[in-house]
Amino acid sequence: MGQITLSQVTKRFGDVEVIPPLDLQIDDGEFVVFVGPSGCGKSTLLRLIAGLEDVTSGEIRIDGTEATDLPPARRRLAMVFQSYALYPHMSVRKNIAFPMKMAKVPEDEQNRRIEAAAKALNLGDYLDRKPGQLSGGQRQRVAIGRAIVREPAAFLFDEPLSNLDAALRVGMRLEISELHERLATTMIYVTHDQVEAMTMADKIVVLRAGHIEQVGSPLELYRAPRNLFVAGFIGSPRMNFIEGAEAGAHGAHTIGIRPEHIEVSDGPGRWQGRIAVSEHLGSDTFFHVHDTGLADVITVRASGEVGLRHGDTVALTPRADQIHRFGADGLRL
Amino acid sequence: MSTKASRAAARLMISPSVILLLGWMLIPLGMTLYFSVLRYNLLMPGDNPFVGFENYSYFLTDPGFTAAIWNTLALVLGVLVITIVGGILLALLLDQPMWGQGIVRILVIAPFFVMPTVSALVWKNMFLNPVNGLFAHLFKALGLTPYDFLAQAPLASIIGIVAWQWLPFATLILLTALQSLDSEQLEAAEMDGASPLSRFRFIMLPHLARAITVVILIQTIFLLSVFAEILVTTNGGPGYASTNLTYLIYVQSLLQYDVGMGSAGGVVAIILANIVAIFLMRMIGKNLET
Amino acid sequence: MSRAVKPQRKALNTVLAWGMGLLIFFPILWTVLTSFKTEAEAIADPPIWFNFSWTLENYFTVQERSNYFRHFWNSVVISVGSTLIGLIIAVPAAWAMAFVPGKRTKDVLMWMLSTKMLPPVGVLVPLYLIFRDLGLLDTRIGLVFVLTMINLPIIIWMLYTYFREIPVDILEAARMDGAGLRDEVVHVLLPMAVPGMASTVLLNIILAWNEAFWTLNLTAAKAAPLTAFIASYSSPEGLFYAKLSAASTMAIAPILIMGWFSQKQLVRGLTFGAVK
Repeated sequence: MGQITLSQVTKRFGDVEVIPPLDLQIDDGEFVVFVGPSGCGKSTLLRLIAGLEDVTSGEIRIDGTEATDLPPARRRLAMVFQSYALYPHMSVRKNIAFPMKMAKVPEDEQNRRIEAAAKALNLGDYLDRKPGQLSGGQRQRVAIGRAIVREPAAFLFDEPLSNLDAALRVGMRLEISELHERLATTMIYVTHDQVEAMTMADKIVVLRAGHIEQVGSPLELYRAPRNLFVAGFIGSPRMNFIEGAEAGAHGAHTIGIRPEHIEVSDGPGRWQGRIAVSEHLGSDTFFHVHDTGLADVITVRASGEVGLRHGDTVALTPRADQIHRFGADGLRL
Repeated sequence: MSTKASRAAARLMISPSVILLLGWMLIPLGMTLYFSVLRYNLLMPGDNPFVGFENYSYFLTDPGFTAAIWNTLALVLGVLVITIVGGILLALLLDQPMWGQGIVRILVIAPFFVMPTVSALVWKNMFLNPVNGLFAHLFKALGLTPYDFLAQAPLASIIGIVAWQWLPFATLILLTALQSLDSEQLEAAEMDGASPLSRFRFIMLPHLARAITVVILIQTIFLLSVFAEILVTTNGGPGYASTNLTYLIYVQSLLQYDVGMGSAGGVVAIILANIVAIFLMRMIGKNLET
Repeated sequence: MSRAVKPQRKALNTVLAWGMGLLIFFPILWTVLTSFKTEAEAIADPPIWFNFSWTLENYFTVQERSNYFRHFWNSVVISVGSTLIGLIIAVPAAWAMAFVPGKRTKDVLMWMLSTKMLPPVGVLVPLYLIFRDLGLLDTRIGLVFVLTMINLPIIIWMLYTYFREIPVDILEAARMDGAGLRDEVVHVLLPMAVPGMASTVLLNIILAWNEAFWTLNLTAAKAAPLTAFIASYSSPEGLFYAKLSAASTMAIAPILIMGWFSQKQLVRGLTFGAVK
């Protein structure tokens, strides 16, 4: 079980309100990602759930039981920290055993769970090493192992991949997703990287300045962002925003169109522009188009290699069914 | 990271220290203040009448007091000057490439670990003694008359002994600070054509400022209370020639059993120490907060 | 110092530095040498350097005449005892200040350190009287108490600076893993802080071993540690240089050796972390 409910939760540090009143429901077995720019309060929110910080007001329930004032040790949650927070003086085995030792799990049961975790996470060869002798990815696995053996109600991840290099990050992302498939335990995952959010989440919570901007599945957020902030934050490269007459023509203050929803050609089209920079990724090519008279730069995507170069004049045609319309207040129309 | 529970735990965990230190400070302080306005001598039993500031006026007009103030100042400043100048020179020397640097460091730091009574007695007898001391032997070998250091120049001798004990401390700290100086800075200055002297003046000395401040602060705390060295060498004499404030109060309270007068002296010592402390803290504040 | 140095220059440095080092160390060396001489050799003019009949007799005499080991044991009990008790009181306080800092934490720390500024002589009279009335004069327990209080601010400060270098994440991880406060401190914080605690302990034993105001004023014979025992040699009878040297050598040797091992940590400890 791992159902977490936040009602009217707030957090202040002195006079600064970090989290204004907030409601959130996390269902059992869900993979929920808190995403937002740095300083948006996503880590604070995670720490409130963990019990590492007090809520200023409001209520947190875990599996229906009031947990607002429970110490972290008694919330049955496990956390994986950005720095991994392994105990440097203990071997990997002792690190993984620590939560069970605290819970007074019998020795043979401890060993059974350690072996199982070591096998699942490929840590068998490292059990007697100290964390200092491990690579970043291995440390990450130990931290996850330490979380798994507790058999917690929910896992909390605080930007767990941000200290890894790019290649490892992709691998660990998959491993964590697989872990979730296998355990089917609730996971709450904090990141500032929208790619991680999109690829891993069942449910994304987009935060800005402590406010929840939108909650939904990755595709809901992609297809129907509730406001300009979410529209700009979700999706890579970023959505193009166009104001003025062109927007007015669609009956909106601002229109948004994703780079992958614009056709680019050297023939006639709806808009004209000149290619300033082209980025060739092999599978895709991104063009940064200037002088369209719409916005400073319009980013478009073409699949594969296209024979267009810096300085070429191109025609752009947006797909009419993929235009997002926003009002003057920034909300979706 | 703080929750109500952890803050409560923190208060609980810090309270033994706070309560003990508060008691340690306030109870004797209160008693000193109280005794200082009584006529209270352990040799004269009976009631201890309130006498107002009588003890203070006796203490402050005592010829020993003025002498003790000057001696205390001379002792603190004398030792500070010797140890800081000597410490900088020694640190510069030890920072140079050489063979056996580790052993030299061990030799230089050793006096700091010698207890005050040992160093005072060793110096007094085996070096400064006018008949059997090594210096007397040396003087005679050079055809000079042996000099009775502790009788002729008691304060200077004590300054010398105390400086010997503290020179290692200053050297070690200044050396550590010097070694943390980025050698690229010095090389850059050398490329810019700075002479060794101006490299010292404009790069090393500013870099050492913080360490020097720390040395001054810590040594001053200890030097204001020099006691054992005086007790075992000169007993403060001849006359008051080597009596510092600490020793004067000790004589009045524990040798003459004058609790009232000793307490008044104690209060004066506390006030003076606070003046010095405020002065030091100002200086430190400027140098340490960066 | 990556630059190559001319060997002549290095040789000159070596000679100068060794000269200064030996000069500074000489009184200690001389004391140790003298402790192995006879009394007559000890005051010989011209002085005898190494060419004397080495003897351990002075050491035996010191022990027989004045029960040296009792005073040695007093020193051990007082310095180790006060340090350990101080540590027990200081660990929780340092934990609180390092990991649950509040607005006033810095002020509390500064206040604790400022108690070191209080001149001992300012509270000599009341403390002496309290000790007399409680029967604590010339007892080891009394001295342990006083030295604990004197060194407590230093212990707290040192532990505080060491604790602050431990990432708070790791303590939070322990909390998430189900550790209570006691488990967090005992199983996680203290094992990680072992190097820092070791240097704290060393430095405080050294300071307490050499403390020579309270030990001289609050003891007479029974509980006198080595500082006070050595001071009793200040009114000599007859020839005593060799015996003084033997007693002195025994009094400073343990601390000298400890000090040499801990000189690196010493800088940091003594400067409250201001110089590293």
